[in-house]
Amino acid sequence: MKTILRGFRLALFAVMAAVSSGNAADKVLNLYIWSEYIPEQVLADFTRETGITVNISTYDSNEAMYAKLKLVGKGYDLVVPSSDYVGLMRRQGMLLPLDTKKISNFAKVDPKFVNQSFDPGNAYSVPYMWGSTALAVNTSLLPAETVQKTADLWKPELKGRLLLPNDPREVMGIGLKTLGYSINEKDPEHLRQAYEKLRTLMPLVRVFDSDSPKQALLSGEVAVGLVWNGEAYTANNENRAIRYVYPPEGFSLWVDSFCIPRGAANIESAYRFIDYILQPKVSAAISESMGYSSPIAGVSEFLPEAMRANPIVNPSAQDTARGEFLDSLDESTLKLYEQYWIKLKTK
Amino acid sequence: MKNNTLFRRLLIGATWAWMALLALVPYLMLVGASFFERGTDTLVRPGLTLSNYLHLLSPTVFTMAADSVALAAVAALLCLLVGYPFAAILAHAPARIQPLLLLLVMIPFWTNSLIRTYALVMLLKADGVVNSLLLHAGLIAEPLRLMYTPVAVFIGLVYTLLPFMILPLYAALKTVDPQLLEAGRDLGAGRVRNFLHITVPLTMPGIIAGTMLVFLPALGMFYIADILGGARTMLVGNYIRDQFLVFRDIPTGSAASVTMTVAMGLLLVLHHLARRRSGKEMLP
Repeated sequence: MKTILRGFRLALFAVMAAVSSGNAADKVLNLYIWSEYIPEQVLADFTRETGITVNISTYDSNEAMYAKLKLVGKGYDLVVPSSDYVGLMRRQGMLLPLDTKKISNFAKVDPKFVNQSFDPGNAYSVPYMWGSTALAVNTSLLPAETVQKTADLWKPELKGRLLLPNDPREVMGIGLKTLGYSINEKDPEHLRQAYEKLRTLMPLVRVFDSDSPKQALLSGEVAVGLVWNGEAYTANNENRAIRYVYPPEGFSLWVDSFCIPRGAANIESAYRFIDYILQPKVSAAISESMGYSSPIAGVSEFLPEAMRANPIVNPSAQDTARGEFLDSLDESTLKLYEQYWIKLKTK
Repeated sequence: MKNNTLFRRLLIGATWAWMALLALVPYLMLVGASFFERGTDTLVRPGLTLSNYLHLLSPTVFTMAADSVALAAVAALLCLLVGYPFAAILAHAPARIQPLLLLLVMIPFWTNSLIRTYALVMLLKADGVVNSLLLHAGLIAEPLRLMYTPVAVFIGLVYTLLPFMILPLYAALKTVDPQLLEAGRDLGAGRVRNFLHITVPLTMPGIIAGTMLVFLPALGMFYIADILGGARTMLVGNYIRDQFLVFRDIPTGSAASVTMTVAMGLLLVLHHLARRRSGKEMLP
């Protein structure tokens, strides 16, 4: 509902903008983005500065965005998929190549978010916001030293007090990381080992939830959860005893990136928009308003102290270095993940 | 008069068009996709194959189906146990207030069931309403473990589906002629015998209808088991959703969905045949 209302307000704004500046009719940008993911103020400022009207449509899962682009194919100039979907859509030829030289602010992107395996050389994507999936521990229910690494999740005292995401990639990911493999592992033997390892973890799990895991943490139903940092940030704001641990074995990072889909009509507008968003000041404003981490290097001077110092939003460089971005998997590997996921969930 | 038929035709035509466009066409697409192959670059690739259906013939899928059927069956039984006395009280309430009571049974339907399920979370969680009340009343020393247990799942299913059981039972109980019960008493039958030999057989169509109306939707209500039960077991509904949304295998997801619909359809046909054979007119 909120999204519809916002869409309506934006449409109204668009009409007003089109009326007020007569020549702006051909300057539009059709942005297709996650819901609740960009502040209206940023869009309004962009329109004021460039005269480009932004029409926004939203989605709440990568799958929905992917299916729509696959089936409809046009009508959008800019989309914001997560890393694994950037990889998938790039391989399937659904994206237009991006010339990062045309984006003057691209140089401001922190090098650790550039040139990742899901899009070598950033030929198709420019990072927008990022975060991690790591361990949230309620230290009022458990001594902090009980859970310091992923392998600690197997400790018997966690029986019935553990939350995992309801997501095969993330769950297989912790099995793989504990064994020292990549979260994008494709070797069937390594996947089998991860499955065997995870099978022994299943009896300890109380709940699988990736929609609102903070709830089970806050109500004390579980003491430890594998959650993404946005959830941990909210939980931590409500209860300081809930801490966020970046395990030494490594963990998964997510980053949502701007991509221009094949079939885009307003490519110049898309470039202008990306360039505008990459300004440290703008990126900081988005980060502060939305609670996600900005990939821009010079962003911290524009952030309030509380946010800058919070390791849940802004982990140290050495913590971030252990993270790995999720990449897409080929269909036959995905089938293996599926098989093991079903086996883990059926006794 | 002529206007009236035109209006009727328009109305009925619009309903049919609506059903055809929004229910039949998408469903036929699903049936079509279930015989297609999975494409790497496109979601599906035309071709005629049964492999998607053969894919379902695996022990894990059977386990999943058995778990789903067991869950739905227990939910239906619980609904019957709770719904029968409920419907009986309703049917014997003063005739004046019966419409009001029926309305109260229906009102929860006006709220989306997903929202009602989240409301149950607020009641059942460790620091939720139920536990707080019991703690304050001194009845328990520490919070009960309600969330993420089978108990919570059944509370959710019974709460959501109970009206589907009550309404047909109420309709069936209303048709039981009190004179028959009187005759039974005159012939020396006690309350229990009267109930078992007169009321139960006469309301059997309502019992069967209610059970079907609870059992069939319960098979598909995976989100209640996910939200309240912690998503630890995979049900048929989860499997279908994952095929579409996680593993991008639309043909297999379609095949599973079509199989489930056919199975449910068969149950309905059996039900219809049984009803015809018993020769009783039954209320929906």
